[in-house]
Amino acid sequence: MIKDIAASGNAGILSFIQALNINRIVSSKAKTFSRFSTIAKPFSRFSTEGKIGVLGILCIILMAVFAPVITICPPQKITGDSLEPPGPGHILGTDELGMDIWSQICYGARMSLTIGLAVAILSGFGGGAVGILAGYMGGHIDKALMRIIDVTMALPSFPLLIVISAFLGPSILNVIFILVLFSWAKPARIARSQTLSLKKNNYIIAARNYGAKPFYLLWRHIFPEVMPVLLVLVIGISSHAIIAEAGLAFLGLGDPTSKSWGMMLNHATGFRSIYFTPYWQWWLLPPLFMLIFLLLCLAFISRDMERILDPKLKIKKGF
Amino acid sequence: MVKDRNSFILRLLSTLFVILAINFFLPRMMPGDPFSTTSADEVGEEIIVMTEEQRLYYLNYYGLDRPLHEQFLGYMKNLMKGDLGRSIYYKMPVRDVIMLHLPWTVLIVVGATIISTISGVVLGTLSAKNRKKGSDRLMMMGMISFAEIPSFLLGLILLLVFSVHLRLFPLAGAVTPFADYNGPAEQAWDILYHASLPIVTLSLSQLTGVYLLTRNTLITVTTKDYIRTARAKGLGENTVWIRHALRNALLPVVTRTGFMIGIMMGGVVLVESVFSYPGIGMTLRSAVVGRDYPLIQGILLVIAVSILICNLLVDKIYGKLDPRVVI
Repeated sequence: MIKDIAASGNAGILSFIQALNINRIVSSKAKTFSRFSTIAKPFSRFSTEGKIGVLGILCIILMAVFAPVITICPPQKITGDSLEPPGPGHILGTDELGMDIWSQICYGARMSLTIGLAVAILSGFGGGAVGILAGYMGGHIDKALMRIIDVTMALPSFPLLIVISAFLGPSILNVIFILVLFSWAKPARIARSQTLSLKKNNYIIAARNYGAKPFYLLWRHIFPEVMPVLLVLVIGISSHAIIAEAGLAFLGLGDPTSKSWGMMLNHATGFRSIYFTPYWQWWLLPPLFMLIFLLLCLAFISRDMERILDPKLKIKKGF
Repeated sequence: MVKDRNSFILRLLSTLFVILAINFFLPRMMPGDPFSTTSADEVGEEIIVMTEEQRLYYLNYYGLDRPLHEQFLGYMKNLMKGDLGRSIYYKMPVRDVIMLHLPWTVLIVVGATIISTISGVVLGTLSAKNRKKGSDRLMMMGMISFAEIPSFLLGLILLLVFSVHLRLFPLAGAVTPFADYNGPAEQAWDILYHASLPIVTLSLSQLTGVYLLTRNTLITVTTKDYIRTARAKGLGENTVWIRHALRNALLPVVTRTGFMIGIMMGGVVLVESVFSYPGIGMTLRSAVVGRDYPLIQGILLVIAVSILICNLLVDKIYGKLDPRVVI
């Protein structure tokens, strides 16, 4: 009799858990989306700075996408006299070869955005995936990965970037590849530590006991939880990548066939005695201003997102 | 703790090893060899300037036909002796080229470290003292926005404003060319005058980190019991802040300083390029432009080793400063 009650009690609890679990599974699909929207939704929760940041980024994206529409002259063609001051034909003047600076700015936005986005997505989500897997599997793989991450984070990244791109030769793909190589470690480390703490949660243990496959667990339970943290990191990585690309191009290590803002800075500062002429006012200032504007916008957004997601994440700021 | 320390040193050593390996393998991964591409302009375009026999002779002469691990051991042996190879552009040993330019970089990095640490601590203390007042919030906002501008763009702005527009500072170089000095004081002044903008740029880029760290640690420290005890003893407000609070808040700042030097050694390449300052960063840039591979490798090694040494030193100093850390 007692046994029976115990058994039925157990069954009751089990079915209760099962019901909960089914509920979870049913709502999980909606939940994955709702998680994305918790990140997309709070535009109203953004502070003024954050709104400025979002609008600024939107402007730059529009500029990059509609570059052919809003410019008159192609960026790589000689369309005017050399070093024309800003005027009706060329809104921002021309450089030493007579190419239009306004169209170089618009097309250059594509370069910065592409590099920022590609590096951020590859290393943010790639590194995140590596970190989640390592944290989930544990054991030797995890230990080995931690060693690699430690070393990668201790490497002096910018000097190495310069040297590797000097050896591999300048092209967009190489630049992206090298930047990813140096920026995947941080998201991997954070995703790993998050996974380690998530793994101990009861609902995940319950799901596993119900026979959930590792892939299902990772995709349905762990990834959505780690996602917000990764998104904040991704913005930081993209601004780092943009800085690094601009820096490399400024040193003359960018892709010579494309026009980026860093390249423009390189050409302008490389121009003999530019500081003794008025040319810097329309040649050097626009790319400088655009780069700073883009970086500030990204910073505003990432700080706001951090603030909004704060209760859920504990990224140590600084180092 | 002992285990922790060992793993710390192990990490430094493995980092050093990775850098050495990158340094060694990168040039060997490139297509061709030094004897077939010496006069080619493009990668992949090979101009044969010597017969096969001559090429094999030179490969043998430079030891490039030996197995990789033997070459690596030889490379390590040369490094231990301090031999970094010969610069192609300067036509002299890489070590001498680096020694010629390193003092300038050390000057601006050390100057920037001192300035940014002191001013960061002072501003952070002021900010923590005036917490929740307008001046603190204003300072926070300004500092944080400032931190987002990378150092070389900041350097360009400073250059444009102070050298080009106001003509207060020199545009380039570390000393006035062909200057005759009346005594060492004037020479020192000239060097300082040229170094001031690069130093200011580097310190501004690092200021925010120190400022935020000091401010936040101070705010946590001031909630501690011993601060209340100090106040209860009737100590003056300044004594409490400086001798009791700040002393304890400075510990993380010391660690931060070590990291800072590391970050600055990376950023210094760009900053020196902006100001055409003849340190190793500028040399690295010209070496990259001139494809002077031995020099590039040598400079990378010097930068990496100095960063690792800084980390090690910080670890040592931290142990001395904070007796709670057992070594």
